[in-house]
Amino acid sequence: MEKIKLIINHQPMELEVDPSERLLDVLRKELHMMGTKEGCGEGSCGACTVLVDGVSYASCLTPIANVIGKEVLTIDGFNKTEQYRVIADAFSELGASQCGFCTPGMIMSTYALFLKNPHPTEEEVRLALSGNLCRCTGYNAIIKAVLLAAEEGKERGIKW
Amino acid sequence: MVNKFIPKSLKEALLILDQHDCYIMAGGTDLMVMKHRSSGLLPNFDKDVIYISNLEELNYIKKEDNKIIIGATTKYIDILNCSLIPQLLKEIIIEIASPSLRNMATLVGNIGNASPAGDSLVGLYLLDAEVELTSLRGTRMMPINDFIYGVRRIHREPDELITAVVIPCHDFTFTKWKKVGSRKAETISKITFAGAYTIKNKIITDLRLAFGSVSITVVRRLELEAKYVGLSVDELQSKIPDIIEDYGKFITPISDQRSTKDYRYKVAINIAKDFLTHIE
Repeated sequence: MEKIKLIINHQPMELEVDPSERLLDVLRKELHMMGTKEGCGEGSCGACTVLVDGVSYASCLTPIANVIGKEVLTIDGFNKTEQYRVIADAFSELGASQCGFCTPGMIMSTYALFLKNPHPTEEEVRLALSGNLCRCTGYNAIIKAVLLAAEEGKERGIKW
Repeated sequence: MVNKFIPKSLKEALLILDQHDCYIMAGGTDLMVMKHRSSGLLPNFDKDVIYISNLEELNYIKKEDNKIIIGATTKYIDILNCSLIPQLLKEIIIEIASPSLRNMATLVGNIGNASPAGDSLVGLYLLDAEVELTSLRGTRMMPINDFIYGVRRIHREPDELITAVVIPCHDFTFTKWKKVGSRKAETISKITFAGAYTIKNKIITDLRLAFGSVSITVVRRLELEAKYVGLSVDELQSKIPDIIEDYGKFITPISDQRSTKDYRYKVAINIAKDFLTHIE
């Protein structure tokens, strides 16, 4: 079988996996990057959200063949950055994470939003996170945290 | 053992399809759900698979002869961001699934999947869309309402690929889109409705209604539209009970986990009535 070439968390990789293997399983099973979570497994909850070439993807519905030659960023790569710190700090400060299972997906969707729109309105935040479910917080804390992160990012001169 | 093909060009894809009966994987947002087993296990494909998502040749939107042509691997997000796309179609797409899925999924995939609850199909029927099918034998066009003939049933031959959807440009006075689901995002429709009309000198010169999730395929009835075109706005208002009765015969929903047939029927009729009474 031909090797699958792509970049994951800035590392060029050549993987010997079936082309229909889910990106989520490659991350967790092959690469032991456990930050990306599996919730529903059918693209409805957003827990498995990763970035592919800078836009959000549901990794549970992404056959690895679809991301050949692309750049994948997961929470396990993003969490080493200053940008991550700004979002994560805002989430902790406002109690936007309780059980924490949805949080990696929420943070990746937030980052995807900031890449396109660093100063979103509340409505834009709600739309950007509309594919991420949270069963603990009731969402308002998360929305406020994203708005706070945007503000903090501006204050600290963060380049998204 | 099934084969998995990752062609690098359209030509290569057509050569593969000529020899193998394949599942055609574009964004994967339907097929990967359908074939999913459980975490850690490979999806359960019972025949060959061809991955076309990365075929850049088919990733385009262009306008030719007053028609918009959208290539098979063009994703919803790029359709949403394109100024050539009619407002009605944008209103439909922004309510499909979620941002992530709109980054992955294709409009042509929604056609190939041919679900009775496929939201974009309602708009494509209303806009007289045609499907472009390509094989080594050549290219042919088919109106979408002929192409889809049942629940997940399409007139695609095994060696063919849906390479594009072609949407004629229209100049309607007004278009309406309504989706009814359990929540705003990430919801499979209970009922959908698209309507359009054109008025010239107070005469209705074009009237279109299309309903989704209320029958095995999208309901659009050209003979009923023809029956009421040519009326004045006032005449049309007095005919609403007749129009509703005519369409009622074709609204034949089922009860399933998402809704009941009574609810679907009642709401579909109410939305149509609301659309008609606001024609002015």
